Amino acid sequence: MKVLVLNNMVPFLRGGAEALADEIVRRLNATKGIQAELVRIPFKWEPVERLIDEILICRTMRLYNTDLMIGLKFPAYLVPHTRKRLWLLHQFRQAYDLWDTEQSNIPKTPPGHEIRQAVIEADNRCFPDCEKILATRLVANRLLHYNGFYAEIMMAPLNDPELFIGGDYGSYVFCGGRINAGKRQHLLVEAMRFTRSNIRLVVAGPADSPADAARLQELVERYNLNDRVYLDLGFLPRERIAKYVNEALACAYLPVDEDSVGYVTMEAFSAAKTMLTVSDSGGLLDLVRDGDTGLVVQPDPESLAAAIDRLASNRAATIEMGKQGRLRWSGMNVTWPATIERLLG
Amino acid sequence: MKIVLVSSFVPFVDGGGRFIVEWLERKLLEHGHEVERIYLPFVEDPRDMFAQMVAYRLIDLTESCDRLIAFRPPSYMLRHPCKILWFIHHFRFYYDLWNTEYRPVPDSVSGRAIRETVLAADNATLGEARHIFTNSRTVSDRLRQFNGIDSEVLYPPLRDPERFRCDGYGDEIVCVSRIEHHKRQHLLIEALSHTKTPVKLRLCGVSSSGLYGSELEELTHRLGLDERVIIEYRWITEEEKIDRIAPALAVAYAPLDEDSYGYPSLEGSHANKAILTTTDSGGVTELVTDSINGYICAPQPQALAEGMDRLFRDKTRTSAMGRAAYQRILDLGITWDNVIQKLLT
Repeated sequence: MKVLVLNNMVPFLRGGAEALADEIVRRLNATKGIQAELVRIPFKWEPVERLIDEILICRTMRLYNTDLMIGLKFPAYLVPHTRKRLWLLHQFRQAYDLWDTEQSNIPKTPPGHEIRQAVIEADNRCFPDCEKILATRLVANRLLHYNGFYAEIMMAPLNDPELFIGGDYGSYVFCGGRINAGKRQHLLVEAMRFTRSNIRLVVAGPADSPADAARLQELVERYNLNDRVYLDLGFLPRERIAKYVNEALACAYLPVDEDSVGYVTMEAFSAAKTMLTVSDSGGLLDLVRDGDTGLVVQPDPESLAAAIDRLASNRAATIEMGKQGRLRWSGMNVTWPATIERLLG
Repeated sequence: MKIVLVSSFVPFVDGGGRFIVEWLERKLLEHGHEVERIYLPFVEDPRDMFAQMVAYRLIDLTESCDRLIAFRPPSYMLRHPCKILWFIHHFRFYYDLWNTEYRPVPDSVSGRAIRETVLAADNATLGEARHIFTNSRTVSDRLRQFNGIDSEVLYPPLRDPERFRCDGYGDEIVCVSRIEHHKRQHLLIEALSHTKTPVKLRLCGVSSSGLYGSELEELTHRLGLDERVIIEYRWITEEEKIDRIAPALAVAYAPLDEDSYGYPSLEGSHANKAILTTTDSGGVTELVTDSINGYICAPQPQALAEGMDRLFRDKTRTSAMGRAAYQRILDLGITWDNVIQKLLT
């Protein structure tokens, strides 16, 4: 069977969705009887009038020599095909939840309303013809709320679970992921001022902006934490991230109201490391249960410091929680074979 | 430089139309440029191909890159202030194949109107290009004849030409190419039955339908050539191809009226092999001069048989023609350095 995966693209920009699209195609091609290929349709949403053109472009494209189409993002999923399924990574959020929260690029003028309506109508005409729609719970909730369509809940697996196999439990807490104010690495750095145990903190990942990197560096300097906090900022090879995870005592991740469980949590639990998080971290709390698979505390430095001390002083319990995390995560069967089976099944 | 390569494609079908794009992409990256390759779907269906052309036209990459290089039709319909074409063929059914059985619409008022619209759309958008290169004199001639547009021939090199080698001159004439009726492997087998020397023939490649392959096997058997014709009817890897050509006496390539010189002739030339072809092979005769770097025979079995016997009898001359074939590549500037210099100037 020939499976064509359709995604948007902005020339010279790559992010998580692009990596995921490549991985879907790679995994499909590794499946018996499946040939897969990726089509990337250029997408430009500024000025907002472009949206009408973009909808038209995709609705007018024709596919040939393709048995099944899998669409990932608006507007690429609008390309017509008789057998279409969606792994819905994104609708055009500016027409939906971001419109409601005044974060949209579409103005609330009469033409703006028309453009927004065109996006919604294009979506509503596309979804009924899809054999199946799969999405994370948050995206599925939005789809139901705004468009009245149901999606099956499906999480994206780790692209490289084979790297996160665990290892010795060291004497540091590791915090990975993108670095910005919303991910609150600064709270962890500040917490290190108040810890009493002999434990270190490692923060590694790409800073969204130079200011995000400077914020952490400045805190380390101000509180003289050079011996106890190690910052490894930038785009790091996956192998390096995996080594940090595999040799950590525990992992920490403090996003504000995250959409989903998040790759950072999936990596930690794959490697049987317990997760320290905070009570307002959102999707993580589905998996991270206080005292069971991790620690969930108030989002302030003092509470975090106490939790870090607890992880360090009772290593046996910490390791046990990590093992519970792995058990719970593997029980969810969020793997590539299961994902491909659902996409094609 | 930021460069976008854009072409149309048929999903899951490989061929020359992709190689030229992907090989250029790799060489541009090696030269330190930033490159995005975009393949857009297109179905050449008279009922809605103009709508699809409009979709191409609406795509806006004007601010996304310093230079846009377009290949297969109708990718040159995208707009860009610095649009360069490496034009590899027309919508041939509306051009040189109009007066043939391949004509896709009747030669009626409405059919002719479709044809005129294709030409008008081509003329308008081709005319926007800063420079048009083609892959052969044949294609340049058609641009002049049908569109009144001047272009420059820029011969596409092989991906890794330096890997081809020569291990002397044995008894086999080798033809590595897709096994298709219009590539006329049957003509080569028929020719062999008229030879007076014990020269052998090796045919390697895959076919889009199994029928022609079995016909060739049956023909070989019927002519009593089982000992002298070797058919490898399968996908041939690059290494295998190099190994088959290296000890060959010469290469043969006798397609019917091909646009370009064809990669098989180029591969033979890089391996210092003389090329056996026919007067009606089209682009191949741009590369081959009779008795200098190969033999150009009338497309009849007897005439080709004579060429085969000459190749076999006078190996001193055959090897000299092989060396001349390599020199011809250098004289024509069929190198990536030359291609990149031209496309980026």
